[in-house]
Amino acid sequence: MNVAEKKHRVIEPDSLIGKRIPKMDAPDKASGRTRYIHDINLPGQLHGKILRSARIHALIKSIDTSAARALPGVHVVITAADIADQRPIGVAKDHFPLKVGRVRSQRDEIAAVAAESEEIAEAALKLIKVEYEDLPVIGNPEDSIKPGAVLIHPEPHGADGTHLHLKQGTSIAHKGKPDNVAMRFDYTHGDVVHGEAESDVVIEDTFKLHYVTHCCMGVSGMIAEFDAGGNVLMYSNTQVPFLHKREFAEYLNIDPARIRSRKDGTLTFRQVHTLHDNGAYTSWGATTPFVMMQTFSSLYRVPHCDYHTAAVYTNNPYAGSFRGYGNLQATFAIEQHMDMLAETIGMDPLEFRMKNAQEAGEVTGQGMSFKSCGFKDCIKTAAGRSDFSRKFAENHANQKKPGNIKRGIGMASMLHVGGGAKIYPSDGCGTILKLDDFANVTLITGASEIGQGSETVLSQLVCEELGLPISAVTVVNNDTAITPWDVGVHASRTTFVAGNSAIGAARKAKSKILAVAAKKFDCTEADLDLRGGFVIRADSGEALVELSKLLRNLHFQDKAELVMTTFYYEPPSVHQDKGFKGDVSAAYAWGTQVVEVEVDTDTGFIKLLKVTGAHDVGRVLNRLGIEGQIEGGVVMGQGYAFTEDLMIEDGKMKNPNFRDYKLVTAPEIPEMDIAFIESMDGEGPQGAKGVGEAPAICMAAAAANAIANATGTRLFELPFTPEKVYRALHGQAPKRYWKPWKAE
Amino acid sequence: MSLGDTKSPFDSEEDPMTELKRYFAPTSLDQAVECLKGGNVTILAGGTDLTPQSQAGRIKFRETLMNIRHIPQLSGITLEGNEIRIGALATITEIMEHPLVRQHLPVLVEACDHFASDQIRNAGTLGGNICNASPAGDTLVPLLVLDACVELASMPEAKLYRHCMPISTFFTGPGKTRKSLCELVTGVRIPVPSPDHRSRFYKHGTRPALDISTISIGIAGDIKDGVISNVRVAFGAVAPTPLRATATESALEGRHLDAATIEAAAVAARDEVNPIDDVRATAWYRREMIHNMTKRVLENVAQA
Repeated sequence: MNVAEKKHRVIEPDSLIGKRIPKMDAPDKASGRTRYIHDINLPGQLHGKILRSARIHALIKSIDTSAARALPGVHVVITAADIADQRPIGVAKDHFPLKVGRVRSQRDEIAAVAAESEEIAEAALKLIKVEYEDLPVIGNPEDSIKPGAVLIHPEPHGADGTHLHLKQGTSIAHKGKPDNVAMRFDYTHGDVVHGEAESDVVIEDTFKLHYVTHCCMGVSGMIAEFDAGGNVLMYSNTQVPFLHKREFAEYLNIDPARIRSRKDGTLTFRQVHTLHDNGAYTSWGATTPFVMMQTFSSLYRVPHCDYHTAAVYTNNPYAGSFRGYGNLQATFAIEQHMDMLAETIGMDPLEFRMKNAQEAGEVTGQGMSFKSCGFKDCIKTAAGRSDFSRKFAENHANQKKPGNIKRGIGMASMLHVGGGAKIYPSDGCGTILKLDDFANVTLITGASEIGQGSETVLSQLVCEELGLPISAVTVVNNDTAITPWDVGVHASRTTFVAGNSAIGAARKAKSKILAVAAKKFDCTEADLDLRGGFVIRADSGEALVELSKLLRNLHFQDKAELVMTTFYYEPPSVHQDKGFKGDVSAAYAWGTQVVEVEVDTDTGFIKLLKVTGAHDVGRVLNRLGIEGQIEGGVVMGQGYAFTEDLMIEDGKMKNPNFRDYKLVTAPEIPEMDIAFIESMDGEGPQGAKGVGEAPAICMAAAAANAIANATGTRLFELPFTPEKVYRALHGQAPKRYWKPWKAE
Repeated sequence: MSLGDTKSPFDSEEDPMTELKRYFAPTSLDQAVECLKGGNVTILAGGTDLTPQSQAGRIKFRETLMNIRHIPQLSGITLEGNEIRIGALATITEIMEHPLVRQHLPVLVEACDHFASDQIRNAGTLGGNICNASPAGDTLVPLLVLDACVELASMPEAKLYRHCMPISTFFTGPGKTRKSLCELVTGVRIPVPSPDHRSRFYKHGTRPALDISTISIGIAGDIKDGVISNVRVAFGAVAPTPLRATATESALEGRHLDAATIEAAAVAARDEVNPIDDVRATAWYRREMIHNMTKRVLENVAQA
């Protein structure tokens, strides 16, 4: 290359957006180098063990830790009595980490031991003597609200009624409840009485849902140490490092829904009552209705909507959050009813959905404003690619023909927050960005990487602004002493909120760089751009100077300037009012999934043949990442629909192992055809919307519709195990199958 | 693992700590049975049942843990006269891949193909599956329909004593067999089936891999001119032990496999099993599946 050519080097426009980029943490994960909490050992660490309750529901009459304390190698044994100002945790602050006076569920924590080895700690636990006085166990929410049911959090809420434990947390601690209702939610828009008067057709059903749990690669744990300055350094696994609330994930709802429509296929009103098993303490499970009501009120246009719910205490494990929680349940009911209504009024299910589907520009009764909305495109695309209408008609015609193998096709759609969710007054995220003198970027973000691929996407967004290769970025995201504030990795918000924050910081850096370059090349900032690691002329693409060289020049001068920027992004969404109204997210994600099944009517066994999905993701940022996220979500939804079931009887888990809690395994994963609808959201980073939870939501509802298409039988209770399907096909009620069997 | 053992560690009030005092890895059968004389021995082969069961606190180690993996007489798959001998240490993978088994005992290959996962198959042994005596043990139903005999070795006096016991009489309850604590299972012997022999295995679970049977069915017999004879039928996970289904066998023996015979056999099957409710299924559903799938397997045999 001679000098003349080099001077006129032109950098062609290029973009990382939509490319297939391997996740930045993939090599570490695939080669086993990722360190989980149990891989960390600090010199001289003590080992902690927790004594858990031997009863489900009981008063603690006495705890004797003297023998445990005396065991050589034991450093400390603590119980609630040792912590005068123990602060409660959880959404309703009804939960003391070490139980005060009473245990309310399996594995309730009574005492904690720290010892020189795990074995000594384990031995110490066995030396702790606890006297209990058993109380009646409430194993389901229906029993919890019966008159005379034993109270799980009676007033006063403490060991002796003196409220000593409230001394520190007076303003936050729970004072006990005169009944077993932990939380109520009541939502209304329009007037269902008016809506009912306008209706031609009504459908009313009860849906019963099961408990499921996240099955994480790493187990939960915590290691803490003091540094020489007396600061506590904690290592833990969490998706909300700033809030640090540990969540346990399962929930149960009973969900009787009424929906009506006119014969012309217009939805008129929807009325829903749900009863939620809160478990023994109030965690995130109690907030499931927040998400459910969005689907009830706003997935389809429905002028009148009424939703009432209670989350009630039982002695079951307490309910936490889960991917898409609330929405899997609500969609299960709503989308089955869409098929049933269509059938009742003799309308094609696809046409019925198209007629009632939301469009861009609508503001729903709950106040959600759909600025970008690819819902109808999702329905059309998923239906078209799966040949839905032809197969639906063909399967329906085959229902009554002989043969024990029936095919079915079913559809379901979803609406989920795609631009964060303002469940707290703030839904923001901060970024600190710095460029070094080799034009390497350090991106310090509040958003945690929990396997979803956010490091890669955030790096892409920064590179897009700064014209750098993805290898130039190092992401720092795992230390609250360094990273700026973020609400947490939830509500499908990280790409949207942390992405906009990263873009904001990158744009500030770019502007600073271009200002310097404009001075150097005697032009305006608008004449210049960053591309391929160079400062270029915006119109011709001519490379003017390597960015690294420009940065070095900035650093090595007597008035050195550093390119370091900060940005805080707060999405333009609204914290909901007391009636749960408000535009809670800056954007909304849509999706439709079509499920094809083969039902063996001799066994009830269902083979999942194919899933065709169309998701409005705003814009594809990392194609490889989003494909993985959707496919993984489909498999998670498949487990929710077909195999996973945390069986609880009278407060006890019956299958606390992966032999009997059945995750989907590789041979069962169906063929998938996933399409992306790019609605280019105006607020989204490069037009993108959140999609983390979306792909798991539709599976159960679509599968139920497919089974109905195959067999003419509707299933209202999850999961669709062979026995449950077989019973339904033979007109038998579902059976909690671990109960003793009696002749029928 | 035994059927219905839904007991969680939470239920266990027992101290799960071991009383293990000695580890012994004999290199000959004599050493092994000598060691067994005292009876207070836990035997380790593949460890795929022993390890999870001990960790869950469901079994306690005895005083001696004896690793039998180094005993040559327990290995190998060989043709001996008119019998195929499979050593107790043969892994599920070895059995599946062995030419003798593939040629003569396809029903056993079929069962092994539904056995847990690759990792478990590489470690788990046939002897272990037999001694664990789960009513849902995957190889037990095919061994029953193949009329296998269990080889046992012991040392009652100073001399090695070996004998065989028909597998149909070997099991006495969930996790229980007629093998005494002083005996070691050294292998199984299976008569080479006749050229007219046909056999089928069906396993019903909720997923194709890594699952415990809800029910399993094995059917074998000689088929000549549409008539089935020397019928052997066995069911898994529907009784305290894997079950030889004699009433079902009688309904089939010497008959044409026509629709009426098949239905009669399916009804006989449903009536002779004695299942329970557990986390995997209700007894009612198991009976239904025994009926429906016995019928389907027989229809499949009739059509072949």
